[in-house]
Amino acid sequence: MKSREQFIQDLAPKKFTKLEKIWLGLLIVVMVAGMIAYIDQLVSGLEVTNLNDYSLWGFYISNFVFFVATSFIGSAAVAILRLTRNNWRTPLVRIAEIIALAAIIMAGITIIIDLGRPERALNTIIYARFQSPITWDVIIIPTYIVASFFLLYFPLLPDLAILKEYYAKSHPRLSKWYGKLSLNWTGSAAQKAVQNRSVQIIAVLILPLGLILQTIDAWLFSSTYRIGWNSTNFGPYFISGAFVTGIGTLIVAIFMVRYAKGLQEYITESHFDKMGKLLALACLIYLYFNANEYLMPAYMSTVNEAIHLETLFSGHYSDLFWFVTIGGLVVPIILLMFKKGRKPLPMFLIGLLVVIAAYWKRYIIITPTLLHPYLPIQGVPESWRDYFPSLHEWLISGSNLATALIIFTLLVRYLPVVAIQRTMDETEEEMKNSKKAS
Amino acid sequence: MKNLLQNRISTFALMISVFFALFASTESIAQQKKERVRLNADYVKVTGKEHYLDIKASARIDRQTVPVGNIDLTVALVLDDEESEIGKTKTDAGGTARFVIDNFSALKPDSTNVYNLIVIFDGNDIFKKASRDVTFRDATITTELIERDSLNFISARITDTALDSALAETDLNVQVERLFRPWKIGEDYYTTDEEGHIEVQIPEGIPGVDGVLNLEVVLKESDEYGTVKTVLAAPVGDVIVDESTFDQRTMWSPRGKTPISLLWITFSFIIVVWGIFLYLFRNLFIIFKS
Repeated sequence: MKSREQFIQDLAPKKFTKLEKIWLGLLIVVMVAGMIAYIDQLVSGLEVTNLNDYSLWGFYISNFVFFVATSFIGSAAVAILRLTRNNWRTPLVRIAEIIALAAIIMAGITIIIDLGRPERALNTIIYARFQSPITWDVIIIPTYIVASFFLLYFPLLPDLAILKEYYAKSHPRLSKWYGKLSLNWTGSAAQKAVQNRSVQIIAVLILPLGLILQTIDAWLFSSTYRIGWNSTNFGPYFISGAFVTGIGTLIVAIFMVRYAKGLQEYITESHFDKMGKLLALACLIYLYFNANEYLMPAYMSTVNEAIHLETLFSGHYSDLFWFVTIGGLVVPIILLMFKKGRKPLPMFLIGLLVVIAAYWKRYIIITPTLLHPYLPIQGVPESWRDYFPSLHEWLISGSNLATALIIFTLLVRYLPVVAIQRTMDETEEEMKNSKKAS
Repeated sequence: MKNLLQNRISTFALMISVFFALFASTESIAQQKKERVRLNADYVKVTGKEHYLDIKASARIDRQTVPVGNIDLTVALVLDDEESEIGKTKTDAGGTARFVIDNFSALKPDSTNVYNLIVIFDGNDIFKKASRDVTFRDATITTELIERDSLNFISARITDTALDSALAETDLNVQVERLFRPWKIGEDYYTTDEEGHIEVQIPEGIPGVDGVLNLEVVLKESDEYGTVKTVLAAPVGDVIVDESTFDQRTMWSPRGKTPISLLWITFSFIIVVWGIFLYLFRNLFIIFKS
């Protein structure tokens, strides 16, 4: 069995490698490019985008929905696995918590970017109309940010105290910060009791909050009388979609972190195998909801629905539609059925495919519907009949993603991505159990 | 050299003269080519309420009939070849104007009890002068609500006001006043008998505000009498139940009228969840202090 020092040595945050520095540098370049584009958008207004009276929710809202969906991993993986006492989760939960926090922060920022006049975001609070799903969104997003913070922070306290000691001699300044953040954690029975109680509460709370967040996000669309949105299926459809996106993102993240931090001993092939099964289940559920969402309107085939579905199945958006359906759901399900498909590298590639497909899935949920209003598009420039993001939108969206990844990278740099204290406790317990058994 | 300069000045002066001559002739042609305005005026009498002229002004420009808006019109009474102005009006952007005759009793008919009005347009830079004669006799429609065998009828009689004689064989419309256009009752029209009388059954179940139906009996666009209308407010309709939710708290109300239940749910959610957050903050503080 490893000693306490060995555990800490293995799991304590390490300095950036050269590759990580290049990665961070690239992200900063993308972020700055997007910030410049955003400043231009602030000065010139939304005219620098290709948004118009019809495609009023374009790339930005796709980003928003994607980030909201990704943040669901906080509820899905962490709370569910914690509450069901699945110990194999331990090396993964912190990464999931970090993803959830980074994603929900960026979701909040993205929605403000979508406003031509960001200062008017305050109007959604000052003039809040509680019948509007937008107001519910304004309430739930900050709530979920705080909940995600607690979910990350409470379990971190013992590890921060360990890091304070660990870096006391080698990095006194860093140690001081860890000390402040650990809130004088000593591991006393009283502190442990309060911490356990708090973790239990937040683990229970994050689940309904996650479900509410995804449902409100879905209701933003389904409460609008539009083809492809006005569906009672949308709540569970979005929740299952978020489950897929969150798990896909987590798989990609754990593969990269495992590789970058040399955590093969802690994040094992068994973890990928289990996550693969979870992803396959999530994809199957989401595929079922997709079938509901598309086959029933196709069966009914009202004129407007038929036009909309034709655009998706064989028209303008068919390539994207079949990519997200076949590539993002069917292929992963098939590959994940095989044990070889659940090995780390295939899992990383599948996860990447799922995440990319999940992003474009949001785009095809939003854009084709906006371009098929019930009243005909007329008396407007011809270009308004179609939508494709402008350079500004690409840059700003790229910057959003880069910022989320920067938050993730920095948190991974300075926080132990695998819970040190908990891993030690669990290993000790396992040893005791095996001794008892023998 | 001097000659050359003089020649150039003369040529320039000639060109200027030709230009102004051409410009002046174009102007005069334009003035000569004033468009003709067509005026239409219909006399309408609403018994016991008002008398007015519905005026329309249009012109034929580029083979198309277009409304002539914003032109001043004068309405005058013609009596013994003398015109006496009774008022002015102006067409709107759609080329229409309604001239209300404020004091109809002050108008004098000619010896044959015919009223002769004239609508005059004095012309402007674009349009020529135009006028339109409107002649009519005064007719009166009297109405009465009758209940017989539990059925409701509207009885109407039309007479020539000056002669006090019934107008037989005259087609009258019977209709219920509605917001956009009236709703005809029964036949398209009813022809009066020798007494100038008609009687029409009012169907049951017609909705009206407070159950009151504004029943209209109309002589429509008669060559001799113009349009004459009498409105009878009859409490024989079904009471309209006001289904407006304007004053209620609904999901489609403005923010000041949010349903109380929704406010309860939302604020309960905020209080409970953020209350738990406060508790968790307190726990962080306890950990810090212990």
